[in-house]
Amino acid sequence: MAESTGRYLYAIGRGIPPAALEAEAGLGEAPLRVVEHRGLSAVVSDVDLEEYGEEGLRRNLEDLRWLEYVARTHDAVVRAAAAAGPTAPLRLATVCFDDEQVRRRIDEWHDALERALDRVEGRVEWSVKAYVPDRVVPAGVPVAAATGPGAGAAYLRRRKEETVRRQQADEVVARDADDLYDALAASAVAGRRLRPQDPRLTQHAGTMTLNAAFLVEDGVDFAALVEEAARSRPRLHAESAGPWPAYSFATLEES
Amino acid sequence: MTQRGAGVPAATGSRNLAGQSAISAAPQPANLADVLERVLDKGIVIAGDIRVNLLDIELLTIKIRLLVASVDKAAEMGIDWWRHDPMLSSQAEDDDRQRSLEEENRRLRERIEALEASDGRGNRDG
Repeated sequence: MAESTGRYLYAIGRGIPPAALEAEAGLGEAPLRVVEHRGLSAVVSDVDLEEYGEEGLRRNLEDLRWLEYVARTHDAVVRAAAAAGPTAPLRLATVCFDDEQVRRRIDEWHDALERALDRVEGRVEWSVKAYVPDRVVPAGVPVAAATGPGAGAAYLRRRKEETVRRQQADEVVARDADDLYDALAASAVAGRRLRPQDPRLTQHAGTMTLNAAFLVEDGVDFAALVEEAARSRPRLHAESAGPWPAYSFATLEES
Repeated sequence: MTQRGAGVPAATGSRNLAGQSAISAAPQPANLADVLERVLDKGIVIAGDIRVNLLDIELLTIKIRLLVASVDKAAEMGIDWWRHDPMLSSQAEDDDRQRSLEEENRRLRERIEALEASDGRGNRDG
């Protein structure tokens, strides 16, 4: 039979010693290896192509338990690599046939990878989210009562007024979020706004008005900066998480 | 009884103390949504030999939502969003969430059509 294992790529970094990965296991408890090529280190492990081939992935990505396991393992390996040297995490489920194909990818992307690693070296990513309680509608536009003749028109008018009020409220919270983002971006090397997450997935209370990632010099107590910035914006509840490997900033094009 | 996510957001407190700045092996288990957001939507895109289209990510998240908790478990936890989800229930109410769900579904459907039209070729960096 043909080759039934592939190489799952977790990350490509610079100077990642295999010893730094000893405490972590790869997917399916496979040992992690480092493929060194042209000054770059690709962190890989062997995976079964039954499970990680095209068909297997299509099937398995629909399975949340499988996806969670792979995502968390992927992240744990990336963290271990990032703790050892500048690291560019790869998108989940990047699978090559063998080490030679891994080296080919490094050849192909070498200069862009070097630039990405330069950008994130000595830096970490922080995630910042801001929430507002559901429906903080500032008092203002009075709502007309709908009775008697013309109730239909009154109803429509009321709906319209509600919409206007809601828009005004949305503008206020959006401004708050922009404002917080700008304040934090001033202390960061780079910032990026991500799409607010769905409450049904995160089960957060209220509305997420800001979901941002910041690239920050390692050693900066960014959590304290977030706390401070949030204190002066009482309409928001802000929280930070980190440090993360620079997932949102180790991109192949300039961001 | 059906308050959604009453209390604190799920991902609180995963912040580090000052001075403990190096990326350590998962200081606290990160929120799954955060992990998925990063490993599925961020990170470097290099096409491997196995082609899998993670552009389907939005479809994936629908399924993730559906799978986040089993119905019984979710009811126990007071999570009842599926009652408002037109995909899952006819009891959907005319409220904001309903509208935003419809809007979201519409977007997703458009995206699916676009994806099908492009025949799901290739990868792309987010």
